[in-house]
Amino acid sequence: MLDRSLLLVSGKGGVGKSAVTAALSILAARRGRSVLAMSMVDDLGLATHLGVDRLGYAPQEVRPGLHALTIDRARALDEYIRLQLHAPRIAPLGPVARGLNALADTVPGIRDIITIGKALFEGGKGDWDIVIADAPPLGQLTSYLRAPVTIAGLVPVGRVRDQALRYEQELGDPHHTGLALVATPEELPVVETMEAYEQIAEFVDIASVITNRVLGPLGVSEDTLELVESLPHRQAGRLHRGLHAAQRRWIADLPDGPQVPYRFGIHTPGEVAALIADNLGTYL
Amino acid sequence: MTRAVLITGGGGVGKTTIAAAVGVGAARAGHRTLVLTVDPARRLATALGLETLGNHPEPNPQLDGLFAAMLDSAASWDAIAYRHAPVEVADRLVTNPLFEAVASRFPSGQGYAASEEMAVHLESGEWDVVVVDTPPASGGIDFFAAPSRMRELVGGRLLRWLTGARLPGRRGLFNLAGRPALRLADALLGGPLLEQVAEFLFDLRTTYDGITAKAAAIDRHFATAAIVVVTTADPGPLREALRFHEVGIEPELVVFNRSLPDDWAATVDPLEDGRAAAALNENLARWALEVGRQEDARADFSGQVGTPMATVPWLADAPVDLDGLQAVLDGSEGLSLDALGV
Repeated sequence: MLDRSLLLVSGKGGVGKSAVTAALSILAARRGRSVLAMSMVDDLGLATHLGVDRLGYAPQEVRPGLHALTIDRARALDEYIRLQLHAPRIAPLGPVARGLNALADTVPGIRDIITIGKALFEGGKGDWDIVIADAPPLGQLTSYLRAPVTIAGLVPVGRVRDQALRYEQELGDPHHTGLALVATPEELPVVETMEAYEQIAEFVDIASVITNRVLGPLGVSEDTLELVESLPHRQAGRLHRGLHAAQRRWIADLPDGPQVPYRFGIHTPGEVAALIADNLGTYL
Repeated sequence: MTRAVLITGGGGVGKTTIAAAVGVGAARAGHRTLVLTVDPARRLATALGLETLGNHPEPNPQLDGLFAAMLDSAASWDAIAYRHAPVEVADRLVTNPLFEAVASRFPSGQGYAASEEMAVHLESGEWDVVVVDTPPASGGIDFFAAPSRMRELVGGRLLRWLTGARLPGRRGLFNLAGRPALRLADALLGGPLLEQVAEFLFDLRTTYDGITAKAAAIDRHFATAAIVVVTTADPGPLREALRFHEVGIEPELVVFNRSLPDDWAATVDPLEDGRAAAALNENLARWALEVGRQEDARADFSGQVGTPMATVPWLADAPVDLDGLQAVLDGSEGLSLDALGV
């Protein structure tokens, strides 16, 4: 999973995608890789799990060997135009930039290609051993993955088209790009992950499906189950057994992959990421 | 007067189940009730009597007075075009790939479609209660910002930039000469794409008056609705729940879903049965920890925000029938029709 230039991490909203992105980044850095963790979405999920208040567009070192950044719509557009398309620099807050920004919101795929393009660009430029990206959630993911094809179909000629075709090739190359899907063993996350699986696999190599928040069995034998029924703990015991049974059913529908245990009690987001890194370390 | 109950919150917190439960409770109390939902789990959709995606309310076969509709975003956008633009313009819009892109990819697109659908049903006079399961984008906040974002989109800022006209109203103004920014955009995108964009925006602009008026009406509905924010005691959903307060939206109620009974923490004493009980002891101690975490999270939340709170118990299996949904309300503390003004 960690043996490529770019690893995208996605999953249904609420399954712990940002925590897993941070954990994989921490794990890769612990193993001596030079890592860039990148948030492709506009929230603080990745930042808090890396233990910082916020991230900027310039990479900042959050721990030894691990840098992080977040996408900034206006600056990513500016960088795309200058570096990717070799066009002159524009004033970031001027009318030209504002107009191009509005254009990017209207023409299908432009915003998406700039975001996915930033991840591919960082992955390919050689500054990092690996780029691990907190990608948009499952519901939006395919429109990002499809953006290079969309753009190539919409823009008949020109530099944008050429760049889109290059992105399409890099995205589909399993040595360059992979995707880790995160799910929790519940109905909607599992059903939606499996429904999207084939479609996603058309664009990018699915490196792994990671199951988060997995409960272990309640006790070691049937005797202990009888025991718990006779005590005031019976409600907690029943909930645990019920959840565990339901989880086993949903896990059976997912492809084999790393399982991260449910975390009980109080943890900061930074502690959560470190714990997941420990768990994933036993698999990878 | 129709009572609107908007159930909001981030992904994965159980919003759709809570919305369905409120709908069942309201219908059983004799109110003619519509549940407008986005994307329910299959078994929940079946419990609501929803077999197909479609904006048309379907009566529940088992409960008189309960109706449900599953929002179809694409169909809603077509309806928006025909509602606000002359028919020949709407015909052009709905077949334009740019329109489809705006509908599916414009931030707030799904939210705006849902809010217009909500307004249609609130204004129809057909319902006592309309329960809306709002789209989860940005933890649910996007839904409330969608009308003003939509007004900006159709307001023609981009059109003015593309055409250089101060008051875009007629075609034929599109002109590359003397506009370096446009020449840049033209070089980058190549070919006739910019012209297509301008044509599309001219068409979209015809919806401006209609959408401006509708967006204002939707904002008024938001102001009088009972807003229910659903969260869990996990840090991510909690952070999203607090954001409502930060942007000035005052919910009627915050529901902590997947709550554990407070007394669990007190009842955990180690079992004295040697090795066999070791794993069990460990698990029970973990649940006690979890109870402590939930209590802390709720105390911390109420310290920051004065919104009334309710708790809904953690269920091993999601409810799949009407009785199961009613049990969600009955098993809760504080999630009642009274609390929602229904």
